Amino acid sequence: MNCSDVRDALESYIADDLTDAESARLATHLTECDECAAEYEHTREVVSRLTGLADAFVPRERYVPRPAYVPRPAGGWGWRIAAIAASVIAILAVGAMSVPAIARQLPLPVAREIDALESQNDSLRERVDELTVRLETIGGAEVAIVDTAEGDLSAEENSAVQLLAMAFIRAQYAGDLDALAGMGTDRLRADLATHPDDYLRAQGADVVFAQMTEAVLAEDGTYLVFVRLSDSVEWTDSQYQENFEIKRVGDRYLVDFMGMDA
Amino acid sequence: MEDQELVARALAGDARSFTTLVRRHERSLYATAYAITRSQWDAADAVQDALAEAYVKLGSLRDPARFGAWVSRIVINTCNTVLRRRGRVLPMEEPPEPQAFVWDGPEDGIDLMRAIQTLSPDHREVIALRYFRDLKVADIAEVLGTPAGTVKSRINRALAALQAALGRTEQEVSR
Repeated sequence: MNCSDVRDALESYIADDLTDAESARLATHLTECDECAAEYEHTREVVSRLTGLADAFVPRERYVPRPAYVPRPAGGWGWRIAAIAASVIAILAVGAMSVPAIARQLPLPVAREIDALESQNDSLRERVDELTVRLETIGGAEVAIVDTAEGDLSAEENSAVQLLAMAFIRAQYAGDLDALAGMGTDRLRADLATHPDDYLRAQGADVVFAQMTEAVLAEDGTYLVFVRLSDSVEWTDSQYQENFEIKRVGDRYLVDFMGMDA
Repeated sequence: MEDQELVARALAGDARSFTTLVRRHERSLYATAYAITRSQWDAADAVQDALAEAYVKLGSLRDPARFGAWVSRIVINTCNTVLRRRGRVLPMEEPPEPQAFVWDGPEDGIDLMRAIQTLSPDHREVIALRYFRDLKVADIAEVLGTPAGTVKSRINRALAALQAALGRTEQEVSR
């Protein structure tokens, strides 16, 4: 191995990408050649500074995928609608002008589908118009509550479900896995045990509860509550959403599923 | 859990597994995009675009174990798109301090990043893929569509250029 070969292979040597025989030959050369040994030291130093450097970058904007799984509401309730209201209205605005023109050129079934979608959008928009938001103090925090206009839950049930969601979120920020498990059903505990990282948030961050829905009882007996929040560390510039499915087990309310949403 | 398994879960409809993958890769993807675009804001855009694309196209990933290389390729592409777009608009001036990201590392790391930003585009690209994305030479060759031998010599030249750039900065500091 001459000096030129050694220089070419130094990076691979440092990364341990050479065969044992190649490594041994190179190491021998380094003991015999001061210039190559110095070059090795320089390269090793810069490589060690580069290694792990990327971990120091914490982007402020975090990507959150739209979940494929969306809890199905029992009846018409407002939060999901509020979340998609902007896009619905945008579709309507475009739709009002372009759909009839397009529809005329499309095969009939497609045109019918567009009609059906349009009427769905209309009814969604009516529901968005019906939404009211009021400020309430829940669990010591002032939260804007989105009225889901269901009205069939007692105040007691509603606040038990909302308080559980808030306590769950606070435990997520406290990193308290035991507390989270204590608030969950078997299904949630199993998921928590296998994916604890999905449940933990920026430890010690201040949490801001921005908005929360009234609890809604789905046909299968699951309570749904959605919370929008931000915090002082990871979500400083935007809010995210946690969607809760809560079940009543005996006289206790337990979280059965928590999903994160943008 | 390995990337491979998270990819499989995400494909089965578990969005949280994709989030876990994202959290695992986002810092190094951001660092890579920042090295390539040299703009904190463009890097943020490129990474967001790349992850959204990766989420949609995840089903087309043939070997889930190679998610890291695959998503690196997507980031390189979105960076190039961002750079082309930038040709038509006035770039925002880079602030002296991080704004689009939080720096969670040693102080001299920022100096090292500044030194990297003085290198040529080719050199910044291989440094990022090799040391930020932690890819093997063979993977980088595939990501860039360049022979492995060329990648190897490009890494060597990039490291030499980086050492020279660091030497210059240190001289400036001691002056």
